[in-house]
Amino acid sequence: MSRKLLELTINGEKHQLLAEPHWTLLQVLRGQIGMMGTKENCLEAECGVCTVLLDGHAVNSCLLLAGQAEGHEITTIEGLGQPENLDPLQAAFIACGAVQCGYCIPGMILTAKSYLDENPGYVPSRQEIREAIAGTLCRCTGYSKIVDAISQAAQDRLTGNTLTESKETAA
Amino acid sequence: MNAEAFRATGRVAGKRLPRMDGVGKVVGKHVYAADFTLPGMLYGRILRSKKPHARIVKIDASRAKAIPGVRAVITAADIPAVRYGQAVRDAPVFALDRVLFYGHAIAAVAATTLEIAEQALAAIDVELEELPAVYDPEEALANAVLVHPDWQDLKALPILVRDGNMAACAKIKSGDVDAAFAKAYRVYEHSFKTAIQHPGYTEPRASVADWDANGNVTVWTNTQLPFDTQNTLAEILDLPSARVRVIVPGIGGGFGGKLRIGVEHYAALLARKTARPVRVLSTSEEELTAATPRQSAVVHLKTAVDREGKLLGRQGRIIVDCGAFAGSGPGTAAVSLQVLAGPYRNGSLALEGVAVYTNKVPAGSFRAPAGPMANFAVESQMDIIADDLGIDPLELRLRNIVHEGDLGPSGEVLKAVSIEECLRKAAEAIGWHDRKPAPGRGKGIACSWWMTTGGSSGVYVKINPDGTATLVSGAVELGTGAITGASQVLADALSLDLSDINVAGVDTQTSPFDYGAQGSRTAFSVGNACLAAAADLRQQLFDLAAQQWNIGTEGMELRDKQVIAGNKAITIAELARISRLSGGGLIAHGTAISPPPAYDPGKLENHLLPVWNTPSFHAQAVDLSVDSETGTVSINRYVVAQDVGFAINPTYIEGQIEGGVSQGIGQALSEEIVYQDGRVMNANLTDYKMPTALDVPEITCILVQCASAAGPFGAKGVGEPPCIHPPAAIANAIASATGARLYSLPMTAEKIVKELRTARE
Repeated sequence: MSRKLLELTINGEKHQLLAEPHWTLLQVLRGQIGMMGTKENCLEAECGVCTVLLDGHAVNSCLLLAGQAEGHEITTIEGLGQPENLDPLQAAFIACGAVQCGYCIPGMILTAKSYLDENPGYVPSRQEIREAIAGTLCRCTGYSKIVDAISQAAQDRLTGNTLTESKETAA
Repeated sequence: MNAEAFRATGRVAGKRLPRMDGVGKVVGKHVYAADFTLPGMLYGRILRSKKPHARIVKIDASRAKAIPGVRAVITAADIPAVRYGQAVRDAPVFALDRVLFYGHAIAAVAATTLEIAEQALAAIDVELEELPAVYDPEEALANAVLVHPDWQDLKALPILVRDGNMAACAKIKSGDVDAAFAKAYRVYEHSFKTAIQHPGYTEPRASVADWDANGNVTVWTNTQLPFDTQNTLAEILDLPSARVRVIVPGIGGGFGGKLRIGVEHYAALLARKTARPVRVLSTSEEELTAATPRQSAVVHLKTAVDREGKLLGRQGRIIVDCGAFAGSGPGTAAVSLQVLAGPYRNGSLALEGVAVYTNKVPAGSFRAPAGPMANFAVESQMDIIADDLGIDPLELRLRNIVHEGDLGPSGEVLKAVSIEECLRKAAEAIGWHDRKPAPGRGKGIACSWWMTTGGSSGVYVKINPDGTATLVSGAVELGTGAITGASQVLADALSLDLSDINVAGVDTQTSPFDYGAQGSRTAFSVGNACLAAAADLRQQLFDLAAQQWNIGTEGMELRDKQVIAGNKAITIAELARISRLSGGGLIAHGTAISPPPAYDPGKLENHLLPVWNTPSFHAQAVDLSVDSETGTVSINRYVVAQDVGFAINPTYIEGQIEGGVSQGIGQALSEEIVYQDGRVMNANLTDYKMPTALDVPEITCILVQCASAAGPFGAKGVGEPPCIHPPAAIANAIASATGARLYSLPMTAEKIVKELRTARE
């Protein structure tokens, strides 16, 4: 086994590390860099909890070799909003009650972000949203409130509304 | 404590407030057990059997131990021969002389990397000699092959009736069923089968263990029952339980699949052997071959009715397949009897629940254990009866349901009974008047009842000098929102906002006892304990204010974060500061236990859970279409009317309902751990099919609020019931749409199309 120098751009920051050629991006994110927001489960791209963005598009980091991510912009959940400045999708997930155990949520939010960004200026139907997130399993919610949240975020980006976790949206 | 003195103000309890742990979860900062690491940590992996039943001839780990980076290999030979289990102590840590199922743990390895640990597993030489095995639970009852030939030597609860592969047999009897069958207008007899279903939590079971210099072990793990896990670990490790500390950092779902010890013991044993922290994380294959799924079951049900469809008597036998260890099977078999009785006036009952060993995966307590299996049988048969008698299925149910003050199957008086309201509301919302709107399209309904599990809860509540409160509870927030709900109850009672409540982490060393996040009890029981603590704190605040003002406490009120007496007012924050100077601060220990109702022990035999606490009532209805060529089911709409007593936070109650229905749809249509000759054929998430966003319809939730006497502000347990009815409701809708009646789960397109073709021929 021979480790090679990898340079990855994660959430706008450059990371250099020595990695085995067969390591996946998920292994590197969680095991080497210690960014645990990207979750681990089936390791065969069925459950979707490991989803990250590669140049803005959702990918399963459990199947992508870390080396293949070189030269691309990687976005993980840590690179979206911060607690005091949530991304509108993150705020909508909270406001709509779309979060339960939360283990699928980073992957779900990034999948939704990729989908909405690929379809700008458009409010998708609930069925279209369901199709877009069908690759990410959630066992807690039955998906309804996740669809509510993505739909809400899609509408808000057109009307310019910003949801924050305020008491108004909570009530 | 005078917890009854609190009434919901509507200010915090009852509101759709956002959950307290939501922000951490959406930004990826919430730490789950699977995320937890320690410096210098080793990676543990388990070697599991690929044979369903075999004698262990030889285990040779010398090649594995020689691999650089391997720090330990342990087998049964390296540890005391402890056997654990709730009802029967039949489960060893590793296979002893025989492997008993495909997936049975044989050895564990710790290494410096996961890859080296995996190489080491492959380098352990195991020689197995296959033995005859038994997979069918009814065949197992003949005892031709014994899963535990030493069954008589195993320690077990004295209430259990055991015989070879039969691990338990519970009964409920009431009235004279033979007489009922003799005088019946019609007698219906059917058999139903259900499959093994994985809980499907997205976070695999994960534990990190570390031993300190004093010989105490700490385990960070995603258990639903930290105190039960602590005790089981103490037995396995041969330590007093106080020297075992269990911390639950965060948990990615459980659904009953993370109740009992999972991988904690492997992590702890490997950590002891290596003197290093060790992490063990289950793989998907281990989850599907060696976790604790829902038991499969066979139900035989015979029902007598009169000409008007009134139930005269029911005879039922349910056989619950425990797999290789009894696990929760004896309890599941017992509880299934109350589900078989249903929310009905049955006339007479003779019900028997049997738990049986087979050479398959040991099962557990997946959400509403026994609920969907027994309900699938009862509610399918209700529709068969209705069809045969030419009575509308809703009408048949309404003629037979229980009413306020009726006696339940254990002879208990039923209170806060709301089944009629649930049935009528679900039927109305699905448009029951138009039950077969088009060819290939139909509607189905099913109803049930379920308990709010008892057990005690303790909480500490501390008032901080900034006027906020800290809630310390041993109850795990599984994701249901139960701890947010209990905090809403607490905030309401203390006149605080939800944002004033801080929740401490669960740690068996510092948290008061809680019976655990199970049985639809967390918000209910922790909420009650919070009310008890609030009553105590209120008195402490009044006493302090009385001292400050030199007056009595009569007429004092806790309102707007202040103690108020006439025109005097002092803030909770100020009183907390005064208490710190003079009395060590404000803290209360609130406790709750919900005693079971009185019942008639003469109706029960060998029943582990003889009577239900604070039952809830519910009905579900579905509108679906069936493709006559492919057998594919498309669910158009789904309605749930569930009595929650009092909706502490409607948003998360809806979330429980929508999630539970989704799991029930999976059980109804697609989910099954498939065995062939004792081997699991679909041990991956490609072939084990859980519902995606495209498989779950829009769900209408109707929250019926028929207040209970025992719950906080009248609440009843919420979490389990939603997954009980979908198999029956969907089976009834398929029959309504196509005329085809399915008797086994899952009702796959293949099974449906086969039925349709048979009907056409």
